[in-house]
Amino acid sequence: MKIQVAIIILEVVLIILALAVYLVATIVQLFKINAGLNVVLPAVGEIVAKTAPVNGVLDAINKNLVTARDALEGLHVKKAGADAAGLVESLFPGEGANFLRRVGRSGKVVNVGTVYTRGVGILASLGRGAPIGAAHTKGPAVRDPKYSTTAASMLYPRPGGARARPKSPVVGRESAHSPYEAALTPGERPRDPTGHPVAPGPTPSTAPHIDVQKQPEPGPPAPAEPPPPAPGRITSAKGTRPWER
Amino acid sequence: MDPDIALWLMVIILAVVIPILVALLKGVLKAASSIPPRIDAIAGVAAAASKDLDAVVVLLTTQNYISQITGSVLNYGGSLNVALPDY
Repeated sequence: MKIQVAIIILEVVLIILALAVYLVATIVQLFKINAGLNVVLPAVGEIVAKTAPVNGVLDAINKNLVTARDALEGLHVKKAGADAAGLVESLFPGEGANFLRRVGRSGKVVNVGTVYTRGVGILASLGRGAPIGAAHTKGPAVRDPKYSTTAASMLYPRPGGARARPKSPVVGRESAHSPYEAALTPGERPRDPTGHPVAPGPTPSTAPHIDVQKQPEPGPPAPAEPPPPAPGRITSAKGTRPWER
Repeated sequence: MDPDIALWLMVIILAVVIPILVALLKGVLKAASSIPPRIDAIAGVAAAASKDLDAVVVLLTTQNYISQITGSVLNYGGSLNVALPDY
């Protein structure tokens, strides 16, 4: 046998051995992979089964939320009118355009918060004459940035001028609304200032009785009172005090 | 061609093929060996995820609450519609 043939046989044997070793090892790894996948697949099946109803539930939740949002936005448009998007823009910057698109309207969104103070907007929305409609939305701002409070108060017609303030409300004018209890003994003091009880005496007359028909008897004339000092002149009180007489 | 030269040529070709074949088989084995640890990791994550998804059932309660809240909000809006004047 030639040496070349022997070498060739040796090389073929080496190739077969290498194939056998590595392929067997690969097959072992593939069996491990198969076993691992058998463990993973049930867990994945559980995940799929547990997440199956999520879409329906979330769709129902979204449907309810969208219904409520549409209703509230419709109410907002009904109450705030043309300023609805501006109010939304003032509270949630950038959301005014989306609000307009959702309610099916178009136009430029004017941020109400930059035109009016928040209190004015709230009072206007509560029905105090809606001063937001006093100026056109494309016109200049109604609010004076320097005297914003005066400018806001001038939007409302008020007797006495813009600076006039309403009087304090009267609480308790009626006895039913009085914050104090009615006295059981009106006009009497059951205790003196030191806290001792006072003996009941004769009931004093509530007012001096004046008999109109009875004429006073003529008596000696009363001493004439000293004439009052001349107006505009300051007189000294020295010598007129009781302890100085 | 001389038969001896042909045999020597085959010897050389086989000598070149053997290391290439071994390298390729080694690469396949290395790739196959790297898969089982990752599958084990995936199995652990999948089991944990499946356990976490047990709370998905609570979504049904949430759906019920959302429905009730929506009804309350709509009632509140109806009251506001009556209480506040229109624009």
